[in-house]
Amino acid sequence: MAKKIPSISKINELFQNKEMKPSELFEQVYETASYTESVLHAHLELFYDEGLKLSKESDNRYSKNESFGLLDGIPIAIKDNINVYGYKTTCSSKMLSNYVSPYDATVISSLKKAGTIFTGKTNLDEFAMGSSTENSAYGPTKNPWNPDFVPGGSSGGSAAVVSAGSAVASLGSDTGGSIRQPASFCGVVGFKPTYGTVSRYGLIAFASSLDQIGPITNTVDDTRIIFNEIQGYDSKDATSITPEYTKLENKKIKVGILKELMQEGVSKESQNEVNKVVTLLKEKGHDVTEISLPLTEMALSVYYLIAPAECSANLSRFDGVRYGIREDASTSYEMMNKTRSVGFGEEVKKRILLGTYALSAGYFDEYYGRALKVRSKIISDFKTAFDKVDFILSPTTPTPAFGFGDKTKNPLEMYLSDLCTIPANLAGLPAISVPTGLSENNLPLSVQIMGKPCSDYSLIDFAESIEEMVEFNFSPNLLKEKNES
Amino acid sequence: MNLKATIGMETHVELDTKSKMFCSCEVVETDEPNVSVCPTCLGLPGALPVPNKTAIEYIVMLSLGANCKITNEGMFHRKNYFYPDLPKNYQISQFDFPVGVNGSLEIVLDEELHSVEIERVHMEEDTGKSVHMGSGRIDSATSTLLDFNRSGIPLVEVVTKPVISTSKMAVAYIEELRQVVIDLGISKGKLEKGNLRFDANISVADENANELGTKVEIKNMNSLKSLEKAIDYEIMRQSKQVEKGESVIQETRHWDENKQVTVSMRTKEGSADYRYFSDPDLPNMIIDQDFIDNSKKNIQNLPTDKRKTLKESGLSLSDSNYLDKGEKWLYDLYLSTVENTKDSKSTFNFLTGELQGQMRKAEIDELPNWVDSVKLANLINLFETNEVSFTSAKDILTKLLSEDIDPKSYASDNNLIQSSDDEEIKALVTSIIKDNQDIVERLEDPEDKLVGFLVGQVMKSSENKVNPGTVKDILLKELFG
Repeated sequence: MAKKIPSISKINELFQNKEMKPSELFEQVYETASYTESVLHAHLELFYDEGLKLSKESDNRYSKNESFGLLDGIPIAIKDNINVYGYKTTCSSKMLSNYVSPYDATVISSLKKAGTIFTGKTNLDEFAMGSSTENSAYGPTKNPWNPDFVPGGSSGGSAAVVSAGSAVASLGSDTGGSIRQPASFCGVVGFKPTYGTVSRYGLIAFASSLDQIGPITNTVDDTRIIFNEIQGYDSKDATSITPEYTKLENKKIKVGILKELMQEGVSKESQNEVNKVVTLLKEKGHDVTEISLPLTEMALSVYYLIAPAECSANLSRFDGVRYGIREDASTSYEMMNKTRSVGFGEEVKKRILLGTYALSAGYFDEYYGRALKVRSKIISDFKTAFDKVDFILSPTTPTPAFGFGDKTKNPLEMYLSDLCTIPANLAGLPAISVPTGLSENNLPLSVQIMGKPCSDYSLIDFAESIEEMVEFNFSPNLLKEKNES
Repeated sequence: MNLKATIGMETHVELDTKSKMFCSCEVVETDEPNVSVCPTCLGLPGALPVPNKTAIEYIVMLSLGANCKITNEGMFHRKNYFYPDLPKNYQISQFDFPVGVNGSLEIVLDEELHSVEIERVHMEEDTGKSVHMGSGRIDSATSTLLDFNRSGIPLVEVVTKPVISTSKMAVAYIEELRQVVIDLGISKGKLEKGNLRFDANISVADENANELGTKVEIKNMNSLKSLEKAIDYEIMRQSKQVEKGESVIQETRHWDENKQVTVSMRTKEGSADYRYFSDPDLPNMIIDQDFIDNSKKNIQNLPTDKRKTLKESGLSLSDSNYLDKGEKWLYDLYLSTVENTKDSKSTFNFLTGELQGQMRKAEIDELPNWVDSVKLANLINLFETNEVSFTSAKDILTKLLSEDIDPKSYASDNNLIQSSDDEEIKALVTSIIKDNQDIVERLEDPEDKLVGFLVGQVMKSSENKVNPGTVKDILLKELFG
């Protein structure tokens, strides 16, 4: 029988008090997976044998009171664009259908040292390009709240497994909202840390200047625990920083409501969640003001030049020469051509072409060059805004989850579902999505809170206070149905 | 129509670092393929580049050595093109913010100094190596093997402005650049190992034309001989076309060593679009004054400095140029030897001609420890003052290289000291004149070749124990008064 999974701190307490063993929790999570997976298709691969073995080792440590800490024995799912030694990393692409990683991503090494157990690899939009997980070469993932709806994307699998209870938490990656948007669609917490605080080494790059790994969890505290483990300087990533996290001096917090994300283009339902939180914040005596960052409206356009441009080069290495699939041909160039034509899906090809075009001689200045200029303006606008407010509040998504096929015909509409999340990536800001309520058709809705660079921990603290205020205590239908049966 | 050639050189210098440019793989010299590789230099998914600080320091040193202005915020760019031995299918390189710009190198041609302007000095990573089976070229190979040991080794590209006019000047430039990187200690500078590889951009136009002719690039040479011949051939080929009024095709060619001609590789239709953009994996290189000052500390005694010292010792420019390009021990030996001799030119000749020649013959790379500049100076002085003949000096040197001797005592002990005793020589001369009356009668003036013959006869009769100069003086006095 599916049980709602307790928070990581609570689980750790149970482990410490010998009320539950890590291997029992692992079996429970695996049992949940064994029936949710047939509906959701959230995991691409389950690491049952190794997971069970490692969780028994964790049992031993707890029995000797020698556990590694809060994450020891916690089953976590990994998005399948993060390398785990000895396992396939497919990026949900046909291109890498046979690719087994010979090394661990830095975040994986960190979690292994903490005693974390991996449940397996989760589904995503191919190479993290998409907002619905419909772009997976291995078929879409369904939303645990209603399988007729998408789980969001690109970390759709990672959000769905946490929501469905087939993992305690998961890692996703966020380039334009790929953690926060699916977390919101699936009613869980999703956090994109400050750019540079979490190593990207071992994350298969989509757009290097925007990509960031982060946790998807049931509670904000779980996010804090996992972030704490994976953050920090890594000498293998030149963009990694030695973070000096900021602290909040005042109890009274200044919150800005971003006007450009509370207007046409964002549904009333989504706006109402923000208004609901504003009322609660005011009740607690916090200072709430409306702010305006007009360039936010350009963010989507800027993103769809910068991200494809970077991806056009990042994905060049997939050529059939050294790894991945290879199509037979009579010359090496023909082989590369055919391999890339067969190995990449439509959305990936579209973005590579778009990016190649934007970087081409004669077009560079007009497209990519201009996008970079607007991006630096967006960064400085946020900097100015954070002189006045501590955090910026907005909806995470313009609408709740949409149905399968609803937006696949119109890419622009699909792209618009990242409207609220993209600015934080462009500016490298930490941003967290916290579920706050349900839509008319019983799908989760969330708010997003953005902070200034390196405010990650205070942002998490503030998000936790909102989590407490809104008391989001709903769980997906899938769990209820199973419990009732 | 008088034609002039214009040449610009692009040279790749392989840096002598312990590890590669963007990963910690060791730089190895081995034929065993793919033994020094990692996720980063193989371009595996998810791997990231991290710059090698020593390599950046070396590039700054070379930029300073080439008198460049240093860019304080250098940028890494991605140069996008597909090739099987380029693992990421882009090469990390530099574009509009290279480490060094607007420099110059001083070169020596015969007895003249010239300055070759340097446009830029930038960093890039090397590619892997393709071994095409069944053919030397990718387009006709039956299969291709890839070795990524070289992938990611740091390279510096040094680009000159189009200011070189002859093959000799191009060779002198490469020799100078090679010596600069050796003296900086940043590259082994071995041409035969491909530590320096060069491309020459050559065009030919009317000497009065304002614009340059169509550029042809000869790619990837690593021998000075080939460079010289390829440039000469290419100037000749293009000149013929221009003279006939034909247009030169813009293309890339390579030097065919067997046929001694340049051969077309590919035609350039406009320039390739590499879609350069700043690499988002790599923050800008901040090269501040402290970094520059620290790099400067490691720069001393470049070829120009050495030439200055050598010229001050009295050597000609071309002799100085020979020594500053030579091995360091020879340069040092010359400087300490010349302090104790009178003539810099004969010291230079003896060390670079006789000493090096004998060492080469004896197959020894370094001087025996008992051979020092004092002994060599003594030896040079012995023949310079005519105390021994040059032939004897050579014999003494041979002995000295195998045995610890004092040149002067050895010369006396072995009866090699030449006599300058006028009376003794006069007696010998008189006797030779008497024995060779037929020749003496044919003598017309003191410049007659037969005088030399008679001197030789005197030397022979003395068993080379007399000073030939004195012999000649006395002989002429006896014959012509």
